[in-house]
Amino acid sequence: MSRMRLAFIAPRLPSGDAVGGAETLIKHHAHLAGELGHDVTLLTTCATDHYSWTNVIEPGRRTVQGLEVEMFPVDEKRDLETFLTIQESIMKGRQVSPEEEQAWLDNGINSSAMIEHITSGAGGYDLVMAGPYLFGITVAALRAVPEKAVLIPCLHDEPFATLEVFRNLLRNVRGIMFNTSPERDFASSLTRGKLPANEVVGFSVPEAAADVEHFRKTRPVRTPYVIYSGRREPMKGTPLLLDYLRTFRKRNEIDISLVLTGKGEVQLEDGDSEWVYDAGFLSEEDKLSAMAGSLAFCHPSTFESLGIVLLESWMAGTPCLVHAGSAVLTDQCRKSNGGLWFRCYPDFEEELLTLISSPVLQATLAKNGYDFVRKEYSREAAKKRLGGILDRLALG
Amino acid sequence: MDRPELTIGAEGIDTERLVRSIRESVEEKLKSGFYNDPAVARAERANIAHITSDEEFLTLFLENLRDSAFVDINDFEITERRKTLAGLLVTFKKLVWKTLKFYTYRLWSQQNQVNGIMLAAMEGMHSSFRQRVSELEKRISELEKKNGTQ
Repeated sequence: MSRMRLAFIAPRLPSGDAVGGAETLIKHHAHLAGELGHDVTLLTTCATDHYSWTNVIEPGRRTVQGLEVEMFPVDEKRDLETFLTIQESIMKGRQVSPEEEQAWLDNGINSSAMIEHITSGAGGYDLVMAGPYLFGITVAALRAVPEKAVLIPCLHDEPFATLEVFRNLLRNVRGIMFNTSPERDFASSLTRGKLPANEVVGFSVPEAAADVEHFRKTRPVRTPYVIYSGRREPMKGTPLLLDYLRTFRKRNEIDISLVLTGKGEVQLEDGDSEWVYDAGFLSEEDKLSAMAGSLAFCHPSTFESLGIVLLESWMAGTPCLVHAGSAVLTDQCRKSNGGLWFRCYPDFEEELLTLISSPVLQATLAKNGYDFVRKEYSREAAKKRLGGILDRLALG
Repeated sequence: MDRPELTIGAEGIDTERLVRSIRESVEEKLKSGFYNDPAVARAERANIAHITSDEEFLTLFLENLRDSAFVDINDFEITERRKTLAGLLVTFKKLVWKTLKFYTYRLWSQQNQVNGIMLAAMEGMHSSFRQRVSELEKRISELEKKNGTQ
């Protein structure tokens, strides 16, 4: 394997509570590539907030957690009204023209300074890897150097994915790194099977010993509880989870609680605060402890390209309940035999009752998930997969 | 940490099979009317996009909607749990309810009319589309047989 100069591009630098799944994954890949002996730089913006995209960090080069990072300002000049109008049309499934698609990207998140850096050849990069797919900055960077472009799409079935600009991007980059096989299948369906060199690289989860009792003892939570970790917003399915548990409690008269960790507003109804505990943003240790103490981790989202939290939950020794509308999460549960999937409330009720009534089933699912993560998502396994695709791309 | 003792692939644990058996149980219960509960319909409000692609659950949803579409504007028993001045309080509450009912009756009755019309329209559309899809599926199947593509 020859040593290459690699640039990884993420819209934000994942640190502290400014964490997005895609950014975490890209940083993870950058670290792995460094461990494989490549010369790696992470290119990102000076923004930390994914709503305002205000430049809050000084641009320039620095070392962050052992990784060389170069930060560029987000272009401040953007027509937000045009962006939002087109975005609404896309989300409602209306047909948009190629010009509108481009206007939407142009008025999204971009950084001319970063594109200038890439095209000028200042970094001397052999490959430029960028994601997730739906950012203007990703498309512009990969289009700027098509012969070096590697997409980390973090793709899932949503209206944006069907835009022609993204179908073209998937077809015309030099390589693609997917997170899961269902994601690759979906990309293949969008491009009618015409995909460049690609690999399901996935992710790696560090071995961790979660303390089952710590969270339960130090927080005012009632057991049993189910847990959800991550961004709390309609796209992630948190309102659905609240509705389902509210109904479950009422219909079955079982005092089950919900623990939420992460960021975002939660719309609670009267009486919910008695059984919903919002733990907010937790350290990795506390998060694992919260997961370990729960009956099940519930992921109600249908828009995922990889459920990193599912992997963490299995590592903590907890089974999962996921929405069957997500091919990716369902595939993870099916492959691991570590979780169940529901289409609707009746499925959810039946599955949760099954888990409550059978500690043996709960423990077996958890163990299956744990073994699956250790085997498929170890650092060595992920490194091997990443090394494989980088070697193939290096050979041209 | 407490690690589960069981081994991977333990007898009887195949999630695919387990989910299938849970779904069979759900289908039986659906037929028996176990989920005909307005609370279930309400719980599905954030899940409509997913259940509308499933014929069976759309039917369930419409049944639940039928049970909960109309606002109850009938009189109800008015009570008072406090013993002191219970009679007076009940009379006061009855007066408040009568006043409210008088001023909101037109609103609720119109709302019920709208709900009823919308429900009938949705059920009509559902039934008509289901019939059309079924006819088209039959025609495609016949054409495929005729062309030997099946």
